[in-house]
Amino acid sequence: MRSAGPKPTVPVKGRPGLASRAWSVAAVPVVVIGLSVLLGAVIIVFSELLVPGHTFDIGLPVVAYSALVSGALGNPDAVVSTLVYSTPLIFGGLAVGFGFKAGLFNIGAQGQFLVGALGAVMAGVALAEVPAPIAIPLAALAGFVAGGIWGFIPGFLKAVSGAHEVVSTIMLNYVAVQLLAALVSGPLKVPRSPSPVTFDVGNAAFPVILGRNGHLGIALALLAAVFVWWLLYRTTWGFEVRAVGANPDAARYAGMRPKLITIATMTFSGALAGLAGTSVLLGVTHSMTSSFGTTVGFDSIAVALLARSNPLVIIPAALLFGGMRAGAGLMQIKAQIPVELVDVLQATILLFLVASPVLRRVLRVGRRHSGPTGVDTAATPAAGEAVAI
Amino acid sequence: MITRTTRLGLLAATLAIVASACSGAATPTPAAPSVAPSVAAPSVAPSAAPSVAASPSPAASTSAGAALKIGVVTDIGTLNDKGYNEYSYKGAQDAATTLGAATPPSIVPKDASEYKADIQQFVDQKFDVIVTVGFNLTSDTVAAAKANPTIHFVGVDQSPVCVDPTGAPDATFACKGDAKTLLPNYTSLYFAEDQAGYLAGIVAAYASKANIIGAIGGTTLCAPCVRYIQGYELGAKSVKPAIVVKSSYVTRDFSAAAFNDPAGGKIFADTFIKTNKVDVLFQVAGKTGNGVLEAACASKIYGIGVDVDQWTSLGAPANACVITSAEKHVESAVNQAITGIAAGNLAAGDVLFNAANDGIGASDFHDKASLFGPEVKTALDAALAAMKAGTLKTCPDTGCGVAK
Repeated sequence: MRSAGPKPTVPVKGRPGLASRAWSVAAVPVVVIGLSVLLGAVIIVFSELLVPGHTFDIGLPVVAYSALVSGALGNPDAVVSTLVYSTPLIFGGLAVGFGFKAGLFNIGAQGQFLVGALGAVMAGVALAEVPAPIAIPLAALAGFVAGGIWGFIPGFLKAVSGAHEVVSTIMLNYVAVQLLAALVSGPLKVPRSPSPVTFDVGNAAFPVILGRNGHLGIALALLAAVFVWWLLYRTTWGFEVRAVGANPDAARYAGMRPKLITIATMTFSGALAGLAGTSVLLGVTHSMTSSFGTTVGFDSIAVALLARSNPLVIIPAALLFGGMRAGAGLMQIKAQIPVELVDVLQATILLFLVASPVLRRVLRVGRRHSGPTGVDTAATPAAGEAVAI
Repeated sequence: MITRTTRLGLLAATLAIVASACSGAATPTPAAPSVAPSVAAPSVAPSAAPSVAASPSPAASTSAGAALKIGVVTDIGTLNDKGYNEYSYKGAQDAATTLGAATPPSIVPKDASEYKADIQQFVDQKFDVIVTVGFNLTSDTVAAAKANPTIHFVGVDQSPVCVDPTGAPDATFACKGDAKTLLPNYTSLYFAEDQAGYLAGIVAAYASKANIIGAIGGTTLCAPCVRYIQGYELGAKSVKPAIVVKSSYVTRDFSAAAFNDPAGGKIFADTFIKTNKVDVLFQVAGKTGNGVLEAACASKIYGIGVDVDQWTSLGAPANACVITSAEKHVESAVNQAITGIAAGNLAAGDVLFNAANDGIGASDFHDKASLFGPEVKTALDAALAAMKAGTLKTCPDTGCGVAK
């Protein structure tokens, strides 16, 4: 799975130069992923002992991981499948990462994802018969706006009353789940259907542009990553976002309006998460069942942390997690390892990331080169620091 | 330096992830009420010959049973859910054992966007039989069956099959196409819950002294739940024509309250028992229903379980007042379907599992056997015999599965 992550480089310690700098950027992610894979192998071996009637096979982790990798990268279809699974994670990672830059913890990507998908399905169903060049942008816009509304609420609450966004976004996640259940089993349900499911989005569905099922959303996600990078590092608003994230008081003293920035950041973050839901709805499912849910919102937090919120690094980080999702099916078939192993890998990656200050000390990776987040403006090192754990 | 806020935020983020992971699939799982049969042999449901097949399927498998590669795609959740996923998978395992085929692998999707890809994984690996579990997978399964005419697809509870004239899943549910001829490689297994409810109703009528019995369903939108309760009412009235049957539904939508809220179920049932003075209560509400049974036991009245032998699955002390359960035998149904494919005689389209093919039953009385005289067993056997013969009406004239 390493190949999907940030490129590992030769560890050249103590020698300045490009290799050293690259290592200081990649060291923590590479070591974290390596440790997680190792821990997963240990768990597989030990769990074998607990399964009654199972013949012990010390090589099972190898079988499992090779199936995981071949399911993610083994052939062109698998690669496209990895891209498809990565798409919502890129949008979600950008959403969470953008919030981090302004010092906001958007735990609500989950809810914004669902509301974004709801917006997309409602618009998509309404526009199902309209020509695709009109239907697709409008349906995607609906998902973007719906997610934005769901992000605006906690941003607004924080700005006017100081309500902590972690609490309000988590609560809004539950509201989103119930809203979806009520709409899909109520007004959006196909009247004659025996089970709760919405109509198909028809012409509003993203066209397949790559291989068997690679939809337009993949390209949009990559463009979004570049756009968010440009926004953060090449525009005034991006500078203000990072300044507020670094030190709101200083930002206010410098004439910025932190409250306005907070609202705008949460809204934009929510809109990006809404696009994650939109990409799944218009690109993959094309309709919504009452079981439409996701782990993307929470996986996105891990993606953003792994990429240290750098919009461009979010792409490989999302590919890593998307690859694990894409490979999980083949792993279950070939090694009969439950899908929960992928959860274990993701969770250990996150845990090791939280412990990364310790890792940095062990690896003797300096803080001077704390990654691409820490180089270009006065405000960045601190903002980068705030998310680099 | 790591700021204080950063630490707090990270902690909060981690907690949020843990909390969400613990709550599992956040969306309600309407599949929950339709959990499956018990492993314990039901005393009053004699097994019938596997007579699934009405007519030989045109696309009958050519592969020998032992070489059959069987795969299972479950609904979201976990494989060992003591319900649908678990018993469907067990059915596939049983069939593989019978046929001498390899242990079937399973894929458990993480979310609804995965259904299609997970089915495709088995297709790419050249599997012969793909079982998909639950109505949420209906359209993806039908689409895969159309795209892969040489592979057999078995859907659990995906009836009625609805396709357009080309054999594609019909999003508008106009159902103009004939699935049996258009998709000879696709079979949906469904169950006569009304027959199981009928048997439970007979037991309830004998157990009741007040001659007022009750039933609580998860939601009016769950047709199987409604069928259970319709059969229950008719079954009770077949024993005591004057008996009063009260029924109520927790909600009218597919929200979590319907099937995933034991605490809510208990409160709902407490009120229901006090208001209606019932002395037997039948739960048809999945995990919410476990709260219903809890309330029944606390109120010292009898409870009746659903889908599986809940006396066994709940265990002591939660089963203290459970006298029987209305069962549907998902495990046996999936097993019969797969062995039917191997034999080349599984019918396409909707295949009903009822008393005639051991698709339903009522559980053993266990420690409550002393409550019932021999006449109860006689009545149950007579009802089962009549169901098999097709002479017993277990649904009202107003329509099966349609709530009043």
